[in-house]
Amino acid sequence: MNEPATIKVESRPKEPSRTPREWIRKNLFSNTPNTILTFIFGAISIYAIRELLGFILSGERRWGAVATNMRLLMAQGYPANQFVRVWFTLGCLMALSGLSLATWRASGRLSLGKISTWTMNLGGGLALFAILAPISWASRLGWIIAAALFLLVGLSMWFGLRDSEKRFSGSVPTVWFTYGFLGVLVLSLWTVPYGHYAFVDGELIAETGRTVAMSTKLPFTVMWLILVGSYLIGTQVRQWIPIGRTKAVLIGLWFLSPFVLNWIVLRDPDFDYAHIASTDIPLALMFAIGGGLVLYLLSKPDLGEIGRIVAIIFLIFAIFNWVAAFFGWYPMLQKVRISFVLLALAALVAPNFAADKKTRLRFVASWIGLIAVSHWLITAINSPSTLKLQGPTYLGGFSLTLFVAVLTLLLSFPLGVLLALGRTSTMPIARVLSTAYIESIRGVPLITILFFFSNILPLFLPEGMEIAELAAIVTGYTLFSAAYLAENVRGGLQSVMRGQYEAADAIGLTTSQRTGFIVIPQALRVSIPPLVGQAIGVFKETSLVAIVGAFDLLRIAAYVVPSQTEFLGVKREGLLLISVIYFIVAFSMSKYSQKLEERVGLGER
Amino acid sequence: MSAETAHTTRPDMIVCENVDKWFGDFQALKGVTATIAEQEVVVVLGPSGSGKSTWIRCINRLEAHEKGTIVVDGVELTNDLRNIEKIRSEVGMVFQQFNLFPHITVLDNVTLAPKWVRKMPKAEAENKAKELLEMVGIPEQASKYPGQLSGGQQQRVAIARALAMEPRIMLFDEPTSALDPEMIKEVLDVMRDLALGGMTMMVVTHEMGFAREVADRIFFLESGEIVEEGTPEHFFTNPTEDRTKLFLSQIL
Repeated sequence: MNEPATIKVESRPKEPSRTPREWIRKNLFSNTPNTILTFIFGAISIYAIRELLGFILSGERRWGAVATNMRLLMAQGYPANQFVRVWFTLGCLMALSGLSLATWRASGRLSLGKISTWTMNLGGGLALFAILAPISWASRLGWIIAAALFLLVGLSMWFGLRDSEKRFSGSVPTVWFTYGFLGVLVLSLWTVPYGHYAFVDGELIAETGRTVAMSTKLPFTVMWLILVGSYLIGTQVRQWIPIGRTKAVLIGLWFLSPFVLNWIVLRDPDFDYAHIASTDIPLALMFAIGGGLVLYLLSKPDLGEIGRIVAIIFLIFAIFNWVAAFFGWYPMLQKVRISFVLLALAALVAPNFAADKKTRLRFVASWIGLIAVSHWLITAINSPSTLKLQGPTYLGGFSLTLFVAVLTLLLSFPLGVLLALGRTSTMPIARVLSTAYIESIRGVPLITILFFFSNILPLFLPEGMEIAELAAIVTGYTLFSAAYLAENVRGGLQSVMRGQYEAADAIGLTTSQRTGFIVIPQALRVSIPPLVGQAIGVFKETSLVAIVGAFDLLRIAAYVVPSQTEFLGVKREGLLLISVIYFIVAFSMSKYSQKLEERVGLGER
Repeated sequence: MSAETAHTTRPDMIVCENVDKWFGDFQALKGVTATIAEQEVVVVLGPSGSGKSTWIRCINRLEAHEKGTIVVDGVELTNDLRNIEKIRSEVGMVFQQFNLFPHITVLDNVTLAPKWVRKMPKAEAENKAKELLEMVGIPEQASKYPGQLSGGQQQRVAIARALAMEPRIMLFDEPTSALDPEMIKEVLDVMRDLALGGMTMMVVTHEMGFAREVADRIFFLESGEIVEEGTPEHFFTNPTEDRTKLFLSQIL
C-alpha cells in the first residue's frame, strides 16, 4: 500500500516562440474572411476611439462640472466638518484589507515579462491616443514622446530581463506591485491639481490652490500608509497568533464592519452617561452573568430532555414579551426583550456545546461577548444623534449607492439561503411558504416594491412607529433580492449529490449539521457565478432608488449637476463619469469572482 | 470461527425479522430474516437488482423498511429519530461511490463526525484521525482534498471516516465496484485487517475471493429473498439451491 516514489516528470516541450509577424499572420490574416473581418473591425474600432476621444476632448465639454462636484457625487450633502468620519471608515476598511491580505497570504506573483508587456501596451495605447485624438500638434508631440518612453522602458525590460533561454525568471509580488501602483496614484494627488473648484456645503469655493486634489491628498496618503502598514503588521502577526484564530477574527470583523461603519458615518450618539451607569451597565452585567450561568448549566453533557424543555420555555417567554409589548400589558425595556430572545436562542443551541469544560466555558464567553456588543449597539442606537445631517436623505451619491448595495447584499444573503432551504425542504409548510414568497416577489417589479416600502408601508405602521427612508429602501430591496438569491442557491442545492446526504447521515450528523457543514458549502461554491452576477445586478440597480427620492449617483449626475446655475444643462460629462465608476466596481467584482472560482475549485475534480 | 459457534457464544448484533420493503409497486425485500452475531463477518451475494444494497441500507435507515423488525445492537429501528441517531453513530458505512466530502480536506472528512457528534476535542479527534489514516495506509494524504486522491485511496479514507466514530458494526455497500482493478486489493486488504481485528461486518460485494477467504457466513439473495445461507465452504463447494448454482456458474 505504499505510494509510488515520485516519478521525475519531463517538462513539456516548449512551443517554438513566434515572431509578432507570424502571430499576426496566423490570427488576423489566416484566410480571406478573417482578413475582411480584421479590416472591418479595425476600421470600426479606430472610428469609435476617434469619436470618443473627440467627445471627451472637445472644447464644448465642461469637465469642470464633474471635477467641481466630485464631493457631491461621492457624498452629496454630507457636512464637510464631519468628513473625518468617512475617512475613519475608509481607514478601517483599509486596515482590514491589509491585515486580510497578509493573513490569507496573498502570494500571487507577477512575472517581469507580464509587467514589461503591460508597459509596452501602455505605450502602445498612448501612441494610439496621440495619433487619433484631435489635439494640437504641440501636445501631440508631447504624447508621442511619452508613448515612446513607455515603449522604450517596456522593450528594454523585455530584452534585458530575460535569461539565456528567453524566459523570465524574476517576478514581483502582486501585492507590492498593487501597493506601488496605488502609491503612484496617491503621489499624483500631490503634484497634479485635479479640479479647480469645489462645492463645499452648497457653496462654490473658487480659491486658488483649493482643489479637490488639495483637500484629499493628505487623507488619501494616510489611507495608503494604513493599507501598507497593516499589511506589514499582518505579516508579523502570523508568527505570534495561530493563523486559524486570526482568520476567524477577521471574518467576524468583515461581517460586522458594514453595520458598525455605516452607523459611524450616519450617527453620533449623545450618550446619557448617568442613565448608562444606573441602568444600562447593570442590565448588561445581569444578562452576561446570569445568562452565562444558565447557559453553562444547560450545556452540561447528559442533560437530556430537560435542556430542550427549558430552552423552549425560555423561547415561549421571550415571544410572549413581544406579544405583551404589542398589547401594552406590561412595560419592559426593548433591550430586555431582545436579550431574552437571544438567551432563548442560545439555550436552544446549548446542547451542541455539551462537551468538556473548556468548550462550555468558550460557549459562555461567546455569550458574554454577544451581550456586550448587542447592548452597546442598542444603547448607541437609542441615544439621540448630535450629527445634524441635511435633507430627507442625507446620504447620497456614491456613498448611498455603496450603502444600499452592501447592506442589501449582506442582509439578503442569509435570507436567500434560508428561503432556498425552505423551498427544497421536506416540510410542507416551509416549502409552501418559501415558494409562495419567492414567486410573489418575483412577480412584482423592483420599482413597485421600492414605492411600496417608501410610501405605503409607513401608513400601515402603528402610531408612533417610524421607518427611516433609507431603512425602508434597504428593507424592500433586501426582500426583493433575497427571492432571486434563493433561486440561485436552489440551483446549487440541487447539484449536491444524494450520496453526500447519505454519507452525512451515515456518520451520524444531525439534519442541521448536515445542512451547515456538507450541503450549503457545496451548494454555494456551485452558485458562485450566478451569485456574483446577481451581486453585480444589485449594485447597478441601486440607481432605481432615485425614483423614490433618494439622491444616488445617477440622480446627481443626471439631474442635480445640470440644474446648478454654474453648469446649467451639463449632463453628458457626469453620465460618462458615473458609467466609468459603475464599470470599475462591476468589473472588479467579476474579476474577483473568477479568482474565487479558481480557489474553491481546488478540492474538486 | 464457524457460524454455529458464533451464534452460540456471542450476542446478536443485527436481527432482521420478516423485513419487507417496496419501491412503489416493486417489492425490493421479501420477508428477509437473518441474525448476525457480534464479530461475525457476513458477505451478501446476489445478482444485480436482488435487493442486497437495499437490505444493508435498511440497517442504518438510509432506506426505511415497511414491514417486519430490524434490531441493531438492542435498539429497534423505528421512526423515532433518537433511535436512528443512536444506531447511526454505532454503525459505520462505506459506499460504492466513496461519497467523501469534496470541499474539505481528508483530515476534516475523518474528524468531522467525532468532533460534532461525539463532541470530541479537536486535538484528540485529529490524533485519532491520523492513527486511522496510518492504519489504512495513507497518513501522508491528510491535508489533501479527496479530489486529489486515487479511487483506492478515497475508499480507504471513507473507511477511516466510518471508523472514526468507533462503530460496533461496519456496513460495506459494494466498496470495490467503482475501483480500477489494480486498486481493489488495497481496499480489500484494509477490510481483511478489520475483520481479523474482530469488527462485526456486513459486506455486499462481487469479490468472490474475499467472500471465500474472510466471510464467516454468506447470504445469497435473489428477487429480494434470502435463497441460501451458509459457510463459504458450503456455499462455494456444495450449494443446495438451483438458483445459487446458476449464479455461481455464471460468475465463476
